[in-house]
Amino acid sequence: MSLIELKNVSKIYRLGNQEIPALTNVSLTFDEGEFAVLAGPSGSGKTTALNLIGCLDRPTSGEVIVSNLTLGTASSKQLADFRLHHIGFIFQSYNLIPVLTAAENAEFTLMLQKVPKLKRRKIVCQLFADLGIDGLEDRRPADLSGGQQQRVAIARAMAANPHVILADEPTANLDSHTAEELLALMRQLNQEKGTTFIFSSHDDRVISQAQRVIRLEDGRLADDSKESQ
Amino acid sequence: MDHLFLAWKNLWRNRRRTIITLAAIAFSIMLVQAAHNLSYGVYAGMVDSGVRAGSGHIAVYRQNYLESRDETLHFPDRNLITEITAIAGVEEVLPRLYIPALAQSSRESRGVMVIGVDPQRERRINPFLKELNKNSMVRATDSRDAVIGVRLLDELQIKPGQKFVVTAQHQDGKLHSELLRVRGVIKSGMKDIDGSLIMIGRERAGLLTGSSGSVHELAIILTNSDDKETVLGQVSTLIEAHPGIEAVNWERAMPNLANAIKLDYASQKFIFLIILLIVTIGVINTLLMSVMERMREFGVILALGSKPMTLRIMIMTEALMLGLLAAAIGTLLGSLATWYLVSTGIDLAAFVPETLEFGGVVFDPIMRASWDPAWMVKIAGYVTGLTLLASLYPAIKAGRITPVEGMRHH
Repeated sequence: MSLIELKNVSKIYRLGNQEIPALTNVSLTFDEGEFAVLAGPSGSGKTTALNLIGCLDRPTSGEVIVSNLTLGTASSKQLADFRLHHIGFIFQSYNLIPVLTAAENAEFTLMLQKVPKLKRRKIVCQLFADLGIDGLEDRRPADLSGGQQQRVAIARAMAANPHVILADEPTANLDSHTAEELLALMRQLNQEKGTTFIFSSHDDRVISQAQRVIRLEDGRLADDSKESQ
Repeated sequence: MDHLFLAWKNLWRNRRRTIITLAAIAFSIMLVQAAHNLSYGVYAGMVDSGVRAGSGHIAVYRQNYLESRDETLHFPDRNLITEITAIAGVEEVLPRLYIPALAQSSRESRGVMVIGVDPQRERRINPFLKELNKNSMVRATDSRDAVIGVRLLDELQIKPGQKFVVTAQHQDGKLHSELLRVRGVIKSGMKDIDGSLIMIGRERAGLLTGSSGSVHELAIILTNSDDKETVLGQVSTLIEAHPGIEAVNWERAMPNLANAIKLDYASQKFIFLIILLIVTIGVINTLLMSVMERMREFGVILALGSKPMTLRIMIMTEALMLGLLAAAIGTLLGSLATWYLVSTGIDLAAFVPETLEFGGVVFDPIMRASWDPAWMVKIAGYVTGLTLLASLYPAIKAGRITPVEGMRHH
């Protein structure tokens, strides 16, 4: 059984009287441990697809099933709970909480899960060491570089040990060297911990690192290629 | 604990804005507390002066006397004075006879109010007699000594030591006169008192109307005015054995003073309400700005798995912290202001006439506050509650966004 399944999924946004189709009849499946990229130009539907997989939005038609949870029938509370325990997010502009330190940001999902302070600090310190940002625990996001902030965001996504990590253009705001480093790091985490990574990108250098490339064009599935490992 | 930690950090996200809001709330608390304590002190002073010269904190009358002021409605005090004095919290019991009469000197005559008193008890309590020395006071309850108002003295064209006659209706229907001698002069600053009051011993007053051994009023002075209702209950129980007699509080006995204070305080409350309303609008504005600025962050927090209720609680916790902090600072400032107003007060002598009357008592031109800690805590609690209430709309608004909508905000 697949970890994630999209069956004939369409998503239409309404702007006044206008209907804007963001995804049209997309069917996809993802297995555990995949390292996949949703590729395509701006407006191709990558973020919409990630939002649906991440239980942040509901499809207009079709079915999205993530770890046996059907989005269409789940309540908002169930979806929030599901995201908290099963999905990690990495955003293009890091989206760290500016008033919290790097360690507190990384602990955030654990805090929502009501994990005791000492235990979550231990988890985060280990992750910071794994991600090469140990020593930066007490710094505020404003005092970190873009690459360091994105590593903190990865730590936040990894801290609760989710099944899937979704990353929306995670390297778009980084220089090519830092971007490559981060991709290598994500790949390493994927291989070592078996965490499924699905990210979106339109950068060919990033796309070339992925194990599986799903191309979207105008909201439709254009190509789905899986390289042999 | 984590919510408190997060709310505290968020509160100081925009330090300057939080400090300005905090200052506005704290200043309004200080203003309302100090203004209330000042009024409380001024009213307490007026009530104290009013009850000592007037009805006492509690007064005992024959039924209907209060409404009709019919001088035939007197009652024998028998052992009542001793029994009431024995009640805990009673400082003094002042027996009084009120007799409308005509005062005549060799040159003039005037309509007057003769008050028959127990001079020793009265002198200790009545503020009108404060400035009289021992030699100017009525010596005994049956003496012919009289203490009279300064204006009346002028109008009768007599001087201290000189004689005059008062005539009143005896209970047998005939007119009865008594010869009196001016012993002391009262200068209360109140037109009615200075122009018509004659204070004499109660036994001499009783001879005028044939009501010896009786009183119209027993004015009960308490050590602490807060005990009024308790003592009133005890006095009411005590006088059950004396049918036709009732005990009332000063508010009923002196409605002019009670109503003047109520009216004055009502206008103050209206001003307090406006101050608090302005502060509440300010708090709503601050919290709403703080929420609108963080919509993207709220979207991220929701995306990470937070529930809308958690967001609402977080925003309300921020407001609660703001309110509690402002309440603490405001109460501290309010206490400092009250301390100054208690110890130094505000001298209005240059702005108000010396004999300004308010509700039937002379207004003291030096306004001093009194501590009312229960009310100070109450107002601090109200403002904290208002701050929390002001956060409801921003909290509901933040809780309504979806993660995707939130993250689209810039």
